[in-house]
Amino acid sequence: MGNYEIFATTADMGIRFKGRDFRGLYENALAGLNLLLFGSRRRKIHGHESAYFSYCGDGPENVLVNFLAEILSLAYQKKKQVVALAFVHADGCRLEARLQLAPCPFEPKVDIKSATYHNLRVQEHNGMKSAAVVFDV
Amino acid sequence: MARNFEKISPWRWRVDRSTDRAMTADAEIFASQEILQQAQDDASIEQVVNVACLPGLVGNSLAMPDIHYGYGFCIGGVAAFAADDGLVLPGGVGYDINCGVRLLASSIPAGEFAAVAESVGYAILQRIPTGLTPRSNYRLNKKEFLRILSGGAREIVNNFSGRAADLVFIESGGCLPFDTPGVISPKAYERGGPQVGSLGSGNHFIEVQAVEEIYDPQAALVYGLEKGNIAIMIHTGSRGFGHQVASDYIETFRKKNLGRLRLKDPQLVHAAIRSPEGRNYLQALNAASNFAWANRQLLQEDIVAILERIFSQGREKLGLELVYDQAHNIAKFEKHLVAGNMASLLVHRKGATRAFPPGHADVAEKYRQVGQPVLIPGSMGSRSYVLRGTARGAELTFASSAHGAGRRLSRHQAVKFSAQTDVRECLKKNGVLVFSHSEQGLREEIPEAYKNIDDVVAVTEASGISEKVARLRPLLVIKG
Repeated sequence: MGNYEIFATTADMGIRFKGRDFRGLYENALAGLNLLLFGSRRRKIHGHESAYFSYCGDGPENVLVNFLAEILSLAYQKKKQVVALAFVHADGCRLEARLQLAPCPFEPKVDIKSATYHNLRVQEHNGMKSAAVVFDV
Repeated sequence: MARNFEKISPWRWRVDRSTDRAMTADAEIFASQEILQQAQDDASIEQVVNVACLPGLVGNSLAMPDIHYGYGFCIGGVAAFAADDGLVLPGGVGYDINCGVRLLASSIPAGEFAAVAESVGYAILQRIPTGLTPRSNYRLNKKEFLRILSGGAREIVNNFSGRAADLVFIESGGCLPFDTPGVISPKAYERGGPQVGSLGSGNHFIEVQAVEEIYDPQAALVYGLEKGNIAIMIHTGSRGFGHQVASDYIETFRKKNLGRLRLKDPQLVHAAIRSPEGRNYLQALNAASNFAWANRQLLQEDIVAILERIFSQGREKLGLELVYDQAHNIAKFEKHLVAGNMASLLVHRKGATRAFPPGHADVAEKYRQVGQPVLIPGSMGSRSYVLRGTARGAELTFASSAHGAGRRLSRHQAVKFSAQTDVRECLKKNGVLVFSHSEQGLREEIPEAYKNIDDVVAVTEASGISEKVARLRPLLVIKG
């Protein structure tokens, strides 16, 4: 895979992603979810709005699920796509970032209800961190 | 991991606790050889075994004949814990809390319906919000929404529409106790409020079906199902509200408990029923269950109004009567016989249906002689079944049964499989009219994407956990 990709389970869908550090991991998680929701690779969009995201968790899995849940909430409830991240702090237990927002280009292609912890483990191999998140569709 | 199965009968298999040191109970699967093989292939057997490793399980970790892979807990899974000192697992309920099925019988002959099927399809699609993030027809303020969360279907009957007489034909009367609004997150209120009275997407549907075959004339008569007449089936749940409740409490349980739990899958996170977080989750679960019952009640009344208008007759003349409304993603306190003693249990059913036997006090008086109806919907374009609960099922499965077919192909595979096919036209040739706003959604839900419902029902009956009453053939499908 590249830095992120979509995969399908029998009933649901998920994303796999990797990064050299936590910033890369969170960035590629966002890119993977955007691919799943809007069906396109990174778009050069400059959002006119932004939102502040801050989460302190018990590990990278916990941070990832809550970060992805926030992106989903913005897409479905506020009709906003997160197009870029400006990190304030990113490690395995804490993520603080300004989310750059743009109006959703269209309705998300998939009705994702929740990001799950199903078999979720952030792993490290050859200096790359990777994870796979399954979404309840 | 390959497991050794003890064959109890051709339809019942056991992984004995002695084969795995982590297991505190046996894992028992109701399946044909073929279904068992599929369950091994998709690793859902391991999920039944993982549940059998939880402390305090009463009886065994069970899987119904529609077993397939879920999050942590398999779909088709049943697990019971002692009501006083047992556990509660959000993963044992699932994200779509009280996803369930409602069936209405009618005296409208299928032939007569065929003449207006298209108009009914358009009218339903126009009236009922379907698909992705639809906006409700009901603009509710927080006070009104809270009344729905505490009153469920009863609140709809009292203050919106419907008949009080229907409530006895809804599991738990369509309302579980909820009186603590503080246990619900603002996000859940935000997601759920605008979705009251909507169908949703995915495998949720409204179907008009023809009663095609009667297997048990006595029970069918009691349920009001007559061969050749139409019935209406509604399959939906608690929408974004239930999903948010589930997500919120998986987080809460993680924070409070994960450090001291040794879980094979983090989705199996749990808490003691009596703990503050366990009690709060059960309250929130009840609120989401009430949302779902209210939702199906509203959808029913919308459909009844459409049929009344199109046939220019009232519901009584059309014979529109609620057969039953039941949950297939829920945890509820029930009493069951365990080793000869009546025990109070919290029974988790995830993709499993309650199936109380004849004579059970919680079955509506009208149905008490034949047992509770068990509704098992098929996929779009395939048959659905009505079964009834049995004494054998009460003994073997905490009165639980199957809930549906289960997917065979992923959504992506289904879309690819149907790429060269006009799905609507194909179904039309088989006598099924389909209405949907989403072409993609339709392709994801093609009949080939699902396992054969006939196999699931055959095992369900052969194992004795429920008995067939009637088979229903779809005529009109409205998909989210």
